[in-house]
Amino acid sequence: MAQDKPRIILRTEGLANPRALKTYIEHAEGYTAIKKVLGGAVTREQLIEEVKASGLRGRGGAGFPTGLKWTFVPQSDTGPKYLICNNDESEPGTFKDRHICTVNPHQVIEGMVLAAFAIKANKGYIYTRWEFQEEIGYLVEAIKEAYAAGFLGKNILGSGFDFDLDHYSGAGAYICGEETGLISSLEGKKGQPKVKPPFPAVSGYLGRPTIVNNTETLANVPWIVNHGAKEFRQYGTEKSPGSKLFSISGALVRPGVYEVPLGYPFERLVQEECGGYLPGRSLQALIPGGASAPLLTPEEVKGLTLDYEAMASRGTMLGSGAIMIIDDRQVLAELLKVTIEFFAHESCGQCTPCREGTGWLNNIMDGVLGGTAKPDSVERMRTVAKHMGGKTICALSDACAMPVTSYVQKFSGQLQAYLAQAAAAGSHVK
Amino acid sequence: MSEATQGSVETVTFTLNDREITVPKGTTVMAAARLKDVYIPHFCWHPGLKIAGVCRFCLVKVDNRPKLEIACNLTATPGMKVSSVLPEVKEAHKWALEFHLVNHPLDCPICDQAGECKLQDYYMEVGKYKSEMDRPKVLKPKALDIGSELVLDTERCILCDRCVRFEEEVTKTGALGIFNRGDRAVVGTYPDKKIEHNYQDNLVDICPVGAFTSRDFRFKQRVWFLKDKPAVCPGCSTGCHVDVYAKPQVRSYFRLKPRESAVNGFWMCDKGRNTYKHMNQEQRLRFPLVAEGSVARRKTTVDEALAALVGRLLAANKEDVALLVSAQYTCEEYKTLFDLFVVKLGVSKVYQWREPTEDLKAFDGLLYRGDHNPNTRGLSEALKAAGLPSEVNNGFDELVRQAPPLVIALGPEVAFQFPSLPAQLKQLEQLPFVSLWTIDGAAANYAGLKHLLPMKGFAEKRGHYLNFEAKVGELADPFPAGSDDARDVTEVVAALGDLFAHSL
Ligand SMILES: Cc1cc2nc3c(=O)[nH]c(=O)nc-3n(C[C@H](O)[C@H](O)[C@H](O)COP(=O)(O)O)c2cc1C
Ligand code: SF4
Ligand code: SF4
Ligand code: SF4
Ligand code: FES
Repeated sequence: MAQDKPRIILRTEGLANPRALKTYIEHAEGYTAIKKVLGGAVTREQLIEEVKASGLRGRGGAGFPTGLKWTFVPQSDTGPKYLICNNDESEPGTFKDRHICTVNPHQVIEGMVLAAFAIKANKGYIYTRWEFQEEIGYLVEAIKEAYAAGFLGKNILGSGFDFDLDHYSGAGAYICGEETGLISSLEGKKGQPKVKPPFPAVSGYLGRPTIVNNTETLANVPWIVNHGAKEFRQYGTEKSPGSKLFSISGALVRPGVYEVPLGYPFERLVQEECGGYLPGRSLQALIPGGASAPLLTPEEVKGLTLDYEAMASRGTMLGSGAIMIIDDRQVLAELLKVTIEFFAHESCGQCTPCREGTGWLNNIMDGVLGGTAKPDSVERMRTVAKHMGGKTICALSDACAMPVTSYVQKFSGQLQAYLAQAAAAGSHVK
Repeated sequence: MSEATQGSVETVTFTLNDREITVPKGTTVMAAARLKDVYIPHFCWHPGLKIAGVCRFCLVKVDNRPKLEIACNLTATPGMKVSSVLPEVKEAHKWALEFHLVNHPLDCPICDQAGECKLQDYYMEVGKYKSEMDRPKVLKPKALDIGSELVLDTERCILCDRCVRFEEEVTKTGALGIFNRGDRAVVGTYPDKKIEHNYQDNLVDICPVGAFTSRDFRFKQRVWFLKDKPAVCPGCSTGCHVDVYAKPQVRSYFRLKPRESAVNGFWMCDKGRNTYKHMNQEQRLRFPLVAEGSVARRKTTVDEALAALVGRLLAANKEDVALLVSAQYTCEEYKTLFDLFVVKLGVSKVYQWREPTEDLKAFDGLLYRGDHNPNTRGLSEALKAAGLPSEVNNGFDELVRQAPPLVIALGPEVAFQFPSLPAQLKQLEQLPFVSLWTIDGAAANYAGLKHLLPMKGFAEKRGHYLNFEAKVGELADPFPAGSDDARDVTEVVAALGDLFAHSL
């Protein structure tokens, strides 16, 4: 077994000037992967094969195999193609991409040059949510350094390959993290997802083939090129190879961003990395993969490992790796309310089930907390959520429905208590 | 314009509701269903617009695929098995409808769209259940003045995006947008901007609910009291195919709507929409007016008026007779007219009556043309067939200069497209004798015109027009004339012919 806690992404974390180009070059094999590839040692096809073989899965939430995604770009098409780094990081609970920008932005840029080479894109964008003003500064600075060093721009390292990289920022909308919503925003339009097909790999930014990858996904690529798929697969599990950054928050001694191999035991992360729960706190529920992930009960958390399969087998998801500890002091009904309110606020409003369903659920929750909800409100929430799922342009509708469904299934006691209270007080709508 | 007319050799065969369907390759399941008269519920899809895929109403089940998919964005592939009627699909339709009703005000009793509202239709068809929604609705702006022809109620809007796409793709004005997000999303124009083009009422047509209503039609009639018949718009040389909506029992016309065709696609212009008004009682010439010798002009019967005209014709030399013909009558009318006067009676002075300010080359790039006559081509061909000069020219001034003793003038039907008409009628008053055949009631204000015959409107006669590119526009299913005395040219000429036969 290779080392137990690999440093694939956060290689410069903890060093002085971690973001500087010099640090990246001296301590993290900086820009050696593009030298290898653009120098001719690895062909485009070999690069894609290596990434496929590594089993790298998209870290943006869906876990789609990265190498496979790159092959969807029609190579018969000789026109412009685009690569976009999805640095919108808007899923509640997620704060790992900003950490990458803070400690190791050059590795993202190098990963982008490699991905662009693989899909034959000569233009790329990093799209960051507006609220990350500091991180935007770090990225812009890193891009500048990379240009100055000849790692970006025309004829990179004399290879004949051109890749221009710009930074772009939206106004801070969750929906601009969905890849086609991001593309709309980048096109200068209202940030709303596009109906698929066509998929972005065929018709994306400006109607041209476009690959959108998450920041963390792209940051894996230089390491895979340097160390090979085989070594990558020494970390993680068969179906979830490599490491993963987890943004873990809640009543812990040391919440934060940690890089651990996929398949890492949840309990070990809590105890070793995070220093355990705050004194006197215990787990009431776990949100394992961002606000849109179905909740787990403490019972379901027993023996949980942090990988795509283990999450799926428990009916939830790893998502972007946003683990939220809901301790026993939280009022779950209020948590559910803010979760729904978030999605109702962020729904772009195009698709009727999402537009109306998110608002409807929010409305019901107002009633539940305000003591005016009908006695059958929990059942109503369940059916509304059921019919919001799997029917819309993007997954935001599901993202709202899933936590609601899991909540109603596993934790409806608190809701029922509110309803019973209202009924006793006679304040509910008849 | 429609998928049906796009010839394609390659075809695809798939199954829809257990029925094998063959359509051109690349056709979506929704478009295929429409071609084959299978109805899949939808709000946002429109055959004349790009796919939006937002209402999520058109869900269908494809065999061996886990999720329901939207038919409007689902390309039919060989052997695909699709169902729009399975219980799970029906359940999805019911819920899609329910979601549409969550924030809909349900003010059908005061809504103009009632009776032709897709939301109402579906509710009756798919739904008819007690609404699941029991919480307060989101309130939005109502009765907005959004354009000269339009009123917008954003609360009724179901955000199907059709109007936005129309403004983007058809008029290319991009005048509309959907602002804000989630259930606060609201359709509207940009600040301090209004919709200003000549195609506004199409928005009323494509809006599946009563969000857009027509200023002209608003609150006038419940649509289920109206009868509609196909016709062709007489407003310009494009000759858009239309449906005319009327209440024949009270001899009233209420509106025109475009009828899908290769000529006009799904649209028509606002100018054209107004070409029904001249057929209504208060605007039309309802009976003949004749001045005879020293007797002042008075209302007469059609028989008397025709007898008087024949009397004058018999007394005149054929050189004294001239025809002044506008390009607003049917090919059949021109043929019978010229057969009698030119071929039989040997009249050779035939003048075209045109609007002097017209710009024949004008075209707005969409439908509306500078030739504001529906049958300029038909008139030319009829003139040619009668052995007369046929190129388009305005003979009005020449006729006035010549001042022939007896003029038979076929006036323009759509007077508002002839801004110079009042001045021209004044000039005709100065001539010795003009028999003016017209539907335009304003002609009666010109006391010097000694002989006026009331004509039928385009919705009241059979025949055809040839549009700017000689495409045929049929008037095949007329309404009864709006006045008992109204005739078309063919009928007048036939009666005149009879009177001649008796007199000879
Ligand atoms: C509502 C919604 C929000 C999303 N937000 C993000 C985001 O903030 N960052 C991100 O990388 N992916 C986000 N995604 C996923 C992207 O659509 C896309 O799958 C991802 O960027 C692909 O990159 P990957 O293959 O590298 O994971 C979101 C998806 C949805 C449906
Ligand atoms: S699912 Fe919701 S957020 Fe996604 S496109 Fe539809 S309305 Fe917009
Ligand atoms: S106004 Fe009518 S056409 Fe426009 S989005 Fe609303 S419902 Fe659709
Ligand atoms: S374009 Fe011409 S024919 Fe068509 S509706 Fe307008 S006026 Fe009538
Ligand atoms: S008609 Fe297909 S989604 Fe609206």
